[in-house]
Amino acid sequence: MAMLEVSNVKKIYTTRFGGTQVQALSDVSFTVEKGEYIAIMGESGSGKTTLLNILASLDRPTSGSVVLDGKDTASIPDGKLAAFRRDNLGFVFQDFNLLDTFSVRDNILLPLVLSGTGVKEMEQRLAPIADKLGISDLLAKFPYEISGGQKQRTAVARAVITNPQLILADEPTGALDSHAADGLLRLFSDLNSEGQTILVVTHSVKAASSAKRVLFIKDGVVFHQIYRANMNNDEMFQKISDTLTALATGGEGNA
Amino acid sequence: MRKMLFYPRIAAQNIKTNRKLYIPFLITSTLSAAMFFIIYSLSVSKSLASTYGGSDITMIMSTAMVVAVIFFAIFLFYTQSFLIKRRKKEFGLYSVLGMEKKHICITCFFETLYIALISIIGGSALGALMSKLVYMALMKLLKFNTGVEFEFHFSSVTYTALVFGAIFVLLFANTVRSIAGKNVVELLSGGSVGEKEPKTKWITTIIGIIAIAAGYYIAITTEKPIEAVLLFVVAVILVMIGTYCLFSSGSIALLKLLRKNKNYYYKTKHFVPVSGMMYRMKQNAVGLGNICILCTAVLIMVSTTVSLYGGMEDALRTRYPRNISIMALADGDEVRGYVDETVDKVVAGSGIATKNVIKTAERSMVAVKEGDTFSGRPEGQDDDLVVSNSITNLVCVTLEDYNRITGGNATLSENEVLLHIVRGGFSGDTMRFSGFELKVKAKYDGFEFAGRNLAYIVDSLYVIVPDEATVTRIYKALGGEEDACRLTYEYSFDTDATSEEQIALSKAINKAFSGEDFKGQQYTQEIMVEGAEQSRGRFYSLYGGLLFIGIFLGFVFMTATVLIIYYKQISEGYDDKERYEIMQKVGMDAREIKKSIRSQVLTVFFLPLITAFIHLAFSFPIITKLLALLNLTNISIFVTCLIITAAIFSVLYALVYAVTAKAYYKIVSD
Repeated sequence: MAMLEVSNVKKIYTTRFGGTQVQALSDVSFTVEKGEYIAIMGESGSGKTTLLNILASLDRPTSGSVVLDGKDTASIPDGKLAAFRRDNLGFVFQDFNLLDTFSVRDNILLPLVLSGTGVKEMEQRLAPIADKLGISDLLAKFPYEISGGQKQRTAVARAVITNPQLILADEPTGALDSHAADGLLRLFSDLNSEGQTILVVTHSVKAASSAKRVLFIKDGVVFHQIYRANMNNDEMFQKISDTLTALATGGEGNA
Repeated sequence: MRKMLFYPRIAAQNIKTNRKLYIPFLITSTLSAAMFFIIYSLSVSKSLASTYGGSDITMIMSTAMVVAVIFFAIFLFYTQSFLIKRRKKEFGLYSVLGMEKKHICITCFFETLYIALISIIGGSALGALMSKLVYMALMKLLKFNTGVEFEFHFSSVTYTALVFGAIFVLLFANTVRSIAGKNVVELLSGGSVGEKEPKTKWITTIIGIIAIAAGYYIAITTEKPIEAVLLFVVAVILVMIGTYCLFSSGSIALLKLLRKNKNYYYKTKHFVPVSGMMYRMKQNAVGLGNICILCTAVLIMVSTTVSLYGGMEDALRTRYPRNISIMALADGDEVRGYVDETVDKVVAGSGIATKNVIKTAERSMVAVKEGDTFSGRPEGQDDDLVVSNSITNLVCVTLEDYNRITGGNATLSENEVLLHIVRGGFSGDTMRFSGFELKVKAKYDGFEFAGRNLAYIVDSLYVIVPDEATVTRIYKALGGEEDACRLTYEYSFDTDATSEEQIALSKAINKAFSGEDFKGQQYTQEIMVEGAEQSRGRFYSLYGGLLFIGIFLGFVFMTATVLIIYYKQISEGYDDKERYEIMQKVGMDAREIKKSIRSQVLTVFFLPLITAFIHLAFSFPIITKLLALLNLTNISIFVTCLIITAAIFSVLYALVYAVTAKAYYKIVSD
């Protein structure tokens, strides 16, 4: 059974006054198997962020369902949603979303503290992750004292420390220089090779090219998808670029 | 023309869009102006000055006015700094859009002008309306029913405009300064620059602890009222320094210690609040210190002045144990006969019945007390030294007089005395003089008939001696001449007559002693007549005036406290908004966030109040000494007033908390 099943998700926003309706997602369906590394691509306004918010259970679909590990997120009551997110999902954001009141260590430990984990277990979990992400020396520092790449690695550490089913990343390389972005993408590939399921939403071809499968959404529907199969990153990059060009010109053709 | 109107219009627009920030500021500045207007009108009021004791009142008003103006200026600066901080980003945006600094300053000028005009005009109008009401309330407090109408002085408007105009010019200058020094990027990044974790400043913490401990020590250990006057100021300054130090660094040191304790820190209910508070303390230590000191000031001022006013009848009775008292600075059968005869004749002539008559003689002398040894004053010392620590006023009363006035039948054998400690203390059980000792048979606190001696600021002991000979021995031991002992004979009584009759009677008695048709002219300079009723007006004008000032400044400080709290909450709300959004994304639900906010806000909020209560508890001993100087010895009145004031204040404080916490939560969860 697929780990994440998204079926016929539709999202309509109603503006506050007047009731003009905007359809952000018309009909999105796809599945994610355990251990997959998926990128979702699309231009601005294509509904990427809306989709991610729905996957993250931060927002509810107008119709359709999102089933994570056999559990329909719509059936979870509001009061339990936060705990559900905490236990099953890890988040990596474009602007890191680290808390400036916490040290790097405390930022990473935040989800564990929220779920009431004991101090000893926290430390046991933290040490190997910090080691793997190369931030062991930074633990006592504060977010304003470290670089963007280090901040993003801290955010990744925070996402993986709960051993989530799925990591959701929203434009994770958006605020990084190319060197730091390469490092982060390598990190994602490494995590994925250890069995971590990852879903990245991006419009960066480079970020998408390290994924195993790329979904393209346009105007609120999944338009196309490509599989990596045996391609290396460069070939994947080329293929994605070609697809995007085709989509863009094709889109114009249709208009 | 259109261009000329551009800046005024944009300034008006700015105030409108920032109304969440500006309305409280406007309310404060308008209220400040109104309060200034009122107190100024009272201080120049001729009708008030013409009342009995009115000059005291107008002087108290002038002093309060100066205090209030300084406070208003500081306070408006403080609140304005919140405004500037919040609006820096907006100014930055104007720069990006092509406004020069000059133009921003012009806009700010118009903004300040509008606010100044609204405050001054609104404040004067409100002040004019309220001042008559306040005047009537004051008359009631002072128990004046003169029927004198309150006159309106146009100078009140002028002065309000001048003083507040000056304050607003300074505020504008401050705005220009804070914009001019910054480049666009700095303005745009606004309040969120350099968010460093605070360092633990051990030295400041230690200074704070020492200052508070020293202040508390002074407050607790000061025994003598005369020392209390000076030391109270010292203690207040020490405690203020200590409060600021401890709020700014002590709290951080404490929070860091909490954070070191991992089992405590890594719990959901402590994790976010502890780090949040640590972060907050740095920004808000001074604000919290201000709130704490203002709270303490309000509580002390209101409770003391209310208890003084409420305990006035008590104080009057303590100071004047009988309604009317005639005192001769001499004694002897001839004097007693002359005084008794004269007084009885006048009283009989007036047809007023007397009761509780006391006829008593005292011999008072000044001694230097060291431990339980009493000696004479060293030669060549000035009278200034009377106020030095060891000086004690010994008032001797013979056992015979003592038994008569108290209606008791105490007995004393030779070399035995009874001791009434009126002010100061005496711990031994033997009074040592050069050449002999007197055994203290019993010691009592206070003396019902001490009266006038309470008006002296030095320590006083009433010594009840077996006979006149003992008085002479004591006096000689202190180095005095045998015949120069300061004798007083006092004839005092109560009466049920009305206030007017009593005043007339004491005037008549006074006249009888200064008249020419009496024998014994030699005494006239040395006979004084005191009437409680004559002093009542002065008591009321003094204590009523103090009460008015207490309530007035209490109100001013309370308004300030409320506003500081409001601005703190609002500005923290904007700061915390983003933080809570992140936490929600990471997996904290709304309920947990609310809980964390509550625990954090509650601690930050009630820390100053609790500290104020602790300050109050420690200041209690020294304040009771100060009140004793003002003749208030009835501590239970003070305790009651203190508790009631503290309770009302706490309720108001909690109310303000509830309202602002709601505003805060709304901003955070928007």
